[in-house]
Amino acid sequence: MEKTVRILNEEGLHARPAGIFVKKASEFSSVIEVRSGGVSKNGKSIMALMGLSLEKNAEITLVANGPDAEAALKALSELVEKKFQV
Amino acid sequence: MAVFQKISSLFGKSSPTAILLGAPLSGRLVSLSEVPDEVFSAKTLGDGFAIDVSDGVVVAPFDCEVSQVFRTGHALGLMGPGGLELLIHVGIDTVKMKGEGFFPKVKVGQKLRAGDLLLEFDLERVRSQAKSCVTPIVVTNMDLVEAMEIVASGSVSRGTPVLSVRKKSQS
Repeated sequence: MEKTVRILNEEGLHARPAGIFVKKASEFSSVIEVRSGGVSKNGKSIMALMGLSLEKNAEITLVANGPDAEAALKALSELVEKKFQV
Repeated sequence: MAVFQKISSLFGKSSPTAILLGAPLSGRLVSLSEVPDEVFSAKTLGDGFAIDVSDGVVVAPFDCEVSQVFRTGHALGLMGPGGLELLIHVGIDTVKMKGEGFFPKVKVGQKLRAGDLLLEFDLERVRSQAKSCVTPIVVTNMDLVEAMEIVASGSVSRGTPVLSVRKKSQS
């Protein structure tokens, strides 16, 4: 399953949002990937996500595979849309 | 045979060895729990230590490869021995400085020895514009870590051994 969302927060996906994203992604047993510009990274790795250097307005595709994929996509896309505010 | 197995498990390649990190900056060592940013104090980004910095020079804490240089220059990702990933984040809320006052000296993929120069920054500028000069240094892939121990306290200089990390043995 996958879902495409846009990064909305001013400073893009820097350290703090990456940490918040990985914390949420790690609550799910599904394999989570984040795709951007033809690159796919492990959605449970802080360093991998920061390596995407995503700026504001960047479009990313969240990909989840596993028993809780649907719930994971819902929670993670909401997190991105809420600018990683928890 | 039993004795041999015991010895080989102590000295064999599979035995977990400690990785020692030197202080990447000079300053006063503080606990992560004292960092004024919840994502660090709650260890969401990983475990490690922080330094209330006293000058604007950052060096490699161990032999490593540069895995990431933030485009705003305020943070660096390093890949150390055995795949250990380390984030050095200069100051708190420094992302808002948009790179002004930060001068990275390395590029992604560059291989470094402990003590090599990584980054210089304008400490006075960070002091006046950022929320804090406290700089967290955290291992972001804690799933590889069996245990870690802070081996220093108080004021540290660049290179002072600060953190001992023991990796999980690989099965």
